[in-house]
Amino acid sequence: MHENRHRDPARRVVVTGIGMVTPLGVGKEEFAANLFSGKTGIAPVRSFDTTSFSSHLGAEVTDFHPRDFVSVKNLRRMDKTSLFTAAAARLALQDAGLEITPDNRDRVGIVLGTAFGATDVTAQFSGTLLTQGPASVNPILVPNIVMNAPAGHASIELGFRGVNTTVTHFAVSAETAIAYAAAEIRRGTADYLLAGGADILSKFYYESLTKFRALSPQNGEEESCRPFDERRNGTIAGEGSGLVLLESLQSALARGRAPYCEVKGAGMGSSPTPPTAWPAEPSGIKKTLQRALDNASLSAGDIQAIFAVANGDKILDATEARAYEDLFAGTSPAPWITAVKGATGESFSSGGIRACALALAMEKNSLPPSAGLATPLSGLSFVQERKEIDVAMTHAALAGISFGGTYCYLIFGR
Amino acid sequence: MADNVPDFARALREGRCGISRIDLFDTTGFRSHTGGQIKHVSARGYIPREFSVKRMSRADMLSFAAALEALRDAGLYPPPEEAKDEIGVVIGGGAGGLLEAEDFYGRLLTTGRGVKFSTLSSLFCASSADRIASAFHFGGPKATFMTACSGGGTALGYARDLILNGHTSLVLAGGVEPMCRTTFAAFNALKSVAADFCRPFDKNRDGLSLGEAAAVMVLEELQHALARGAKIHGEILGYGITCDSYHMTAPDEQASGAVRSMQAALKDSGLSPDDIDYINAHGTATPVNDPMETKAIKAVFGRRAYTIPVSSTKSMHAHTLGAAGALEGIVSVLALRDGLVPPTINYQEPDPACDLDYVTTGARRATLRAVLSNSFAFGGNNTTVIFGKYSERGAANA
Repeated sequence: MHENRHRDPARRVVVTGIGMVTPLGVGKEEFAANLFSGKTGIAPVRSFDTTSFSSHLGAEVTDFHPRDFVSVKNLRRMDKTSLFTAAAARLALQDAGLEITPDNRDRVGIVLGTAFGATDVTAQFSGTLLTQGPASVNPILVPNIVMNAPAGHASIELGFRGVNTTVTHFAVSAETAIAYAAAEIRRGTADYLLAGGADILSKFYYESLTKFRALSPQNGEEESCRPFDERRNGTIAGEGSGLVLLESLQSALARGRAPYCEVKGAGMGSSPTPPTAWPAEPSGIKKTLQRALDNASLSAGDIQAIFAVANGDKILDATEARAYEDLFAGTSPAPWITAVKGATGESFSSGGIRACALALAMEKNSLPPSAGLATPLSGLSFVQERKEIDVAMTHAALAGISFGGTYCYLIFGR
Repeated sequence: MADNVPDFARALREGRCGISRIDLFDTTGFRSHTGGQIKHVSARGYIPREFSVKRMSRADMLSFAAALEALRDAGLYPPPEEAKDEIGVVIGGGAGGLLEAEDFYGRLLTTGRGVKFSTLSSLFCASSADRIASAFHFGGPKATFMTACSGGGTALGYARDLILNGHTSLVLAGGVEPMCRTTFAAFNALKSVAADFCRPFDKNRDGLSLGEAAAVMVLEELQHALARGAKIHGEILGYGITCDSYHMTAPDEQASGAVRSMQAALKDSGLSPDDIDYINAHGTATPVNDPMETKAIKAVFGRRAYTIPVSSTKSMHAHTLGAAGALEGIVSVLALRDGLVPPTINYQEPDPACDLDYVTTGARRATLRAVLSNSFAFGGNNTTVIFGKYSERGAANA
């Protein structure tokens, strides 16, 4: 059942397009320029007042003009998560040189991961209902409360009618979506699938994260996002959408497209973890990464880079680092580890944005720096802040770890 | 209708209606006051004392109870130590802990008293799968799908794929949807709810009845099931997912998405329309869905559409949204097992636009080989799952 054993180009799945709407920029050129030069998208939150909250920084998408991506007709019906998704989808299709036509539209689709969905719309709708009663609610908001709204809006805006579904499993939503989409391409139920994640910052959601002590500063010190750094004290909430376009190698070759990389395998797992808590011990991560390697018919020594989940949380980062120390103890050289959330913030469905970063890293033969990481918590080979590292990768892992004890790792190959 | 499968099967056979006056919250000011509410939900009524129920939402409790029943029925309770690390949990989710969050949010916006943000730890629908996996120490794949009214069906299909792709050989798969004010208000605002009872395919149908449910099955790789001597209820033969790309809340009246969804499921299962002996319809009883679905069935099945029994069991258990595909999956498997087509109840007056055999005079005995179950959702998400009677020689020979 090892998916990599299929050498048939019709059953090999490749990434031929990427699209992103992120705090580091909209579209791959701006995103790549900022990410690889070590810039950060973290700044004081502008879209709502944080005065009464214990945190004030966020990684917001700025300089995003929905009109550039979405028709006027659909624009007014769409919420922020849907706009991010539709824009990232359009960018990924453009990047892949794929036009939706009456001939291919039933074979194009999307598998979207969203960790929390439209928290802004739900708070607005429920708030009106609870304070003013049923007669006051706005029916226009209804479809956007549901987590499948972004994928639905994207399908209407872009005109694709194939496989369309939405995964919502907290911080592994996007990784699970990509794994599912790759399996669907392999199974032949679709020819082209967009896959990744989308989430937004909203006031109520941001306030809730502060109450759950998820955000920096967890210890009252300086507010910052420092993945894998000894000084880390919580994450910084972010937002955005990152989507990859998957198709079979056969299809890419027939279209004359050079893939960024290939999806080689996926592993999924769980470990008993209290609700909303990050796993405090590394067994779930180790088991799941090993499953992904097995699924790709690879071993730990084949991996040159890991796009980590670490977001500056005290527990998460320590657990993730311990897992890699154990897994790669006998591996020389050990893989490089990069953690981009000091630049992008934590959007929870971050796997989509990190998959795009991974695709770019494969293309550039270079790993992006981990903004905020200067004093590593362990001796692993971290790509630290400010400086990208040139490395020609044959294989890289995209990590997926969620609070609540869910894991999904993906292995990509050149 | 019931809080266990044997009672549920009996209620389906008897055509019993589970729709009644809602008392879970105040329905003053709404168009409708009825729904498929589960009365008398209590954590300790469902969940043994060895499991923590702290901060569990109604959805968490219902899905936990269904998971427990499925494990017991499969002879997997308590779960064998050696199997635990590969057992997966895949759930079609819905409103999650929104009912409890509404109490919280209402207080936050008004008096500001008694506000505990910890309530939100079970707000999102992925909480239910996390609770189940953590409680039983399951280490396999875990995922939650949320596509409004088709997530339960998608969860079954995805879980089937996890097994076929070798990720695991055992998955608890299903769906859960709790009632809450927000969902109720949303469907009322769209004027898509029936004033009293939903009447699928009836000329005077005026909307759906909202319901709640949890439905969970144990899906298992065949050799694995045979090796441990498991009792096999049926087989998942295939599924299909498509999108309307038409409108966020209205189905495409041309029925393209529904047609392609059924065709995709048939293709995946390797069956022809002639192999399907019963269609468990989406059948919401909204003015638009039922003729659209009727049209789609005719497009897929041709003349045979008129001879296949088609019923909407939503007339009994109401529309359970995120749980619907999984609950109706259980309905389908029971129909295959018992050789009994469940009825469409509340049906009185024929609609010329809905002219198929809707099984309106009570449950009907029939030899069933394969059952097709539709779930169509807001956002234009369609999922069709096909279930077969298990036979050593393969489904089409059952």
